[in-house]
Amino acid sequence: MPGIPLVARETTNYTCYCSYSTATDSMCRQDSATHLSAEEEIAAEESLSSYCKPVELYNILQRRAVRNPSFLQRCLQYKIQAKHKRRIQMTISVPATVSDESQVQNLFPLGVILAKPLSSAAAAEGHSAVYQFKRACMSTSFSGVDGINRAQAKFILPEMNKLSAEIRAGSLVILFVSFAELARDRGDISSFPLNLEGHCLLGRMPMELLHLLWDKSPNLSLGERAEMWSTVDLNPCFMKTSSLDKDRHISFEYPRSSAALATIQQLQVKIASEEAFARERTRYDSFSYDDIPSTSLARIIRLRTGNVVFNYMYYNNKLQRTEVTEDFTCPFCLVKCVSFKGLRYHLCSSHDLFKFEFWVNEEYQAVNVSVRSEMWRSEIVADGVDPKQQTFFFCSKPLRRREQPDLVQNSKHVHPLVLDSDFPSMNDLNGRTNGVADAVECDPSSSNGASVPSSGNLYTDPDSVQSASGSTLAPPALLQFAKSRKLSVERSDPRNRALLQKRQFFHSHRAQPMALEQVLSDRDSEDEVDDDVADLEDRRMLDDFVDVTKDEKQVMHLWNSFVRKQRVLADGHIPWACEAFSKLHGQRFAQAPATLCRCWRLFMMKLWNHGLVDARTINNCNLILEQFQNQDSDSTRS
Amino acid sequence: MAARVPLGCEPVVGSLTPSRKKEYRVTNRLQEGKRPLYGVVFNFIDSRYFNVFATVGGNRVTVYQCLEGGVIAVLQSYIDEDKDESFYTVSWACNIDGSPFLVAGGINGVIRVIDAGKEKLHKSFVGHGDSVNEIRTQPLKPSLVLSASKDESVRLWNVHTGICILVFAGAGGHRNEVLSVDFHPTDIYRIASCGMDNTVKIWSMKEFWTYVEKSFTWTDLPSKFPTKYVQFPLLIASVHNNYVDCNRWLGDFILSKSVDNEILLWEPKMKEQSAGEGTSDVLQKYPVPECDIWFIKLSFDYHYKTAAIGNREGKIFVWEVQTSPPTLIAKLSHVQSKQPIRQTAMSFDGSTILSCCEDGTIWRWDVVATTF
Repeated sequence: MPGIPLVARETTNYTCYCSYSTATDSMCRQDSATHLSAEEEIAAEESLSSYCKPVELYNILQRRAVRNPSFLQRCLQYKIQAKHKRRIQMTISVPATVSDESQVQNLFPLGVILAKPLSSAAAAEGHSAVYQFKRACMSTSFSGVDGINRAQAKFILPEMNKLSAEIRAGSLVILFVSFAELARDRGDISSFPLNLEGHCLLGRMPMELLHLLWDKSPNLSLGERAEMWSTVDLNPCFMKTSSLDKDRHISFEYPRSSAALATIQQLQVKIASEEAFARERTRYDSFSYDDIPSTSLARIIRLRTGNVVFNYMYYNNKLQRTEVTEDFTCPFCLVKCVSFKGLRYHLCSSHDLFKFEFWVNEEYQAVNVSVRSEMWRSEIVADGVDPKQQTFFFCSKPLRRREQPDLVQNSKHVHPLVLDSDFPSMNDLNGRTNGVADAVECDPSSSNGASVPSSGNLYTDPDSVQSASGSTLAPPALLQFAKSRKLSVERSDPRNRALLQKRQFFHSHRAQPMALEQVLSDRDSEDEVDDDVADLEDRRMLDDFVDVTKDEKQVMHLWNSFVRKQRVLADGHIPWACEAFSKLHGQRFAQAPATLCRCWRLFMMKLWNHGLVDARTINNCNLILEQFQNQDSDSTRS
Repeated sequence: MAARVPLGCEPVVGSLTPSRKKEYRVTNRLQEGKRPLYGVVFNFIDSRYFNVFATVGGNRVTVYQCLEGGVIAVLQSYIDEDKDESFYTVSWACNIDGSPFLVAGGINGVIRVIDAGKEKLHKSFVGHGDSVNEIRTQPLKPSLVLSASKDESVRLWNVHTGICILVFAGAGGHRNEVLSVDFHPTDIYRIASCGMDNTVKIWSMKEFWTYVEKSFTWTDLPSKFPTKYVQFPLLIASVHNNYVDCNRWLGDFILSKSVDNEILLWEPKMKEQSAGEGTSDVLQKYPVPECDIWFIKLSFDYHYKTAAIGNREGKIFVWEVQTSPPTLIAKLSHVQSKQPIRQTAMSFDGSTILSCCEDGTIWRWDVVATTF
């Protein structure tokens, strides 16, 4: 980052300057114009230094924000916390081969329940059991997509360590309930029946089994998926469900006769488990950088999910510097932003002195950064200019919000974002059922849950041009060109813009036709006051007075033009105006104490008579004048 | 204002009996088109082209050359793309490299700057809200051009950079169409304008001269130039009681023509201290009979010795302006010249007078004999 020495940035896990030279690397643009003359290099360095001021500013802002983080930052912080909780997603599916399809089909509708036995004594007896559960997954039938026939239920479970204790205590069980018989009697059952009794088939699968499975696959924590097959015996029994508030109970009574106890059917079940949201992490995430050869380092840097490539454009976007940050870290204030989306929001909201262009495809997430030159005038004061001497204007601009429908969707394809809707259910589950999460999602037909897009998607900052897809192959120079053509146009609303382009506009004072650039600029000429002309008219008006001396006229004129330029409007402004006026013209007054200065003092008295200034202000002004007088006499003496 | 004139200070009225100092005879008559011609002007800006003149009428600007023996040769003709354009006025100007410009304006209010050297349109000035009635060029700086418009304003333009430098309008400006405007011959800051509000206004751009200078070096968009409004004239003279359709400086005096069939020579007396207040002293009167329609303009030879003006009946009066009492040199008439003559043009030495008529004809009169 220009302006900050690289070594000083150890807060980021890893930063590097690197330039990718793979031919396919269209996103990480090369410094194509590497052959620069000495002059051009100096110019390039100068243009790079335009990053310094905004970065300094943001450093200051960041220091201020440490104690009192912004709303966005607080939200992102919650997301980070949530992300660090590891969860296990268990998927139970009932696949059917063609041969036994009809047989299995007979079992449907099938309910899969993650339940907690309530009366363990009764269960031991083997005649009846009561379970508590929160949610159940119902599969009414196989809905085959692409010929794959299966029903699926998904459960989100808390972290393994927490779970282990419960499983060991035998307090969790997975129940398979076939409502086939019930459905025959009662018609269609599409959702889990509550407050119902009837005959059904019940199969139980202890959670210990899963425990076994997880023990077997140590790579689970690295995001691997563990799968196993199991067979569940289904026994007929009499079922009764009840629901009280959110506490739902299901009780079963087994037939007493031992003959009926015989297994009626067996169900083949596939159980898969993986760490939830592990799809976001790739295997590279867990590697340290130490043992990786430097040649493949660049590639890995790109592949890690949280890594974002920042390209700093400078020298009219001809050159760039590249930096990579981890964990979606903002390079300016080193804040972690959880996801690319979070980073996008953070950058756009907190660092608007820069212009950002966001790129995402399977391999990279990159941000092209350039300095917003048009913001400079107002935000950053040039060297050698004292901002206190400047006239300040407050310009309130209406917020320009725009919908960004495509962006979220696109990004979803590339890396699944944590869905917001998941969070409330998880949180509330943690408290309720001893950390056991019930079914969160159940999609019997999801055969294409995790699809991978065939081509990378590009999207840019909403401000800039939306380009066609498949742009990984397009040369970046072209995009850049297309962008530059719309430069100043891009900030206003497109519909307004089209209207503005449609006809010729004229300056409201000069009646001169305006160039498009001028029309689209934020300056409005309607209320402009021409200071020169106003001064001239003021002087002319004062000239008409016959009973006023020349010096009085001059002071009047100075005051009038000061008041106009500083927009002194209210009575409350007058004390400030007096002091500022004394400071501004002190030199002039000091040189003519008997005439001009006297006039000014008389005028202040007039103001005092009207109660516009108090004695203290007059005293301050006189002190200022005195100071100038002393300076003046000192300089004449020496 | 000029109602009560003290005894002994009455203006001298010229006699309408021609002195026959010079005699003119028609040497050529040219039918340019069917549409009325409103302007004819010799190029006094560039000595190489003193015998070149331009006429405007309809959407056409034509450049001619006066040759020996009453011959008129057509050099160039420009036709505006807008068929409905009707040019009222044309003036010669000059780029900084010396190439001659024609600046024409009319009913559309768009001022066309034609580069006659390159034979193409140089620039178009948009800004006037209504038709342009007169365009004049500053002879000391031929890049500067003044335009008087129906929109009650006078604008100062830089034809080189295409910038509208100043607008003379506002609180003290004209209250009706501005019909005529002229640069002071020696005081570069001073201009005079007159119009349908019966007044002649004298303006100074001394305080704004930095902007005039800035306009020569301006490279940014013309619309970004800090165009200034000059709102208060130095003097408002009500020497006429009717429309004033032409005014010209004669030294520090002003010759102004109103539709009351007379031209006045008067001296504007400005008070140095208080602007806007001043008096005018009418010195001489030049009667021009049958000149009661507005928009008939004066023309002078290069040295402002003689003035020519047409009238509603196709006659031309040639006045010696600098003598007292004023003498009428000649009264030109021809049996076929019956249409109103909007403007005349006198050649450098006054030996040729051109007139353009409502019926689209150009007449050339040449001096035949000079009696002393």
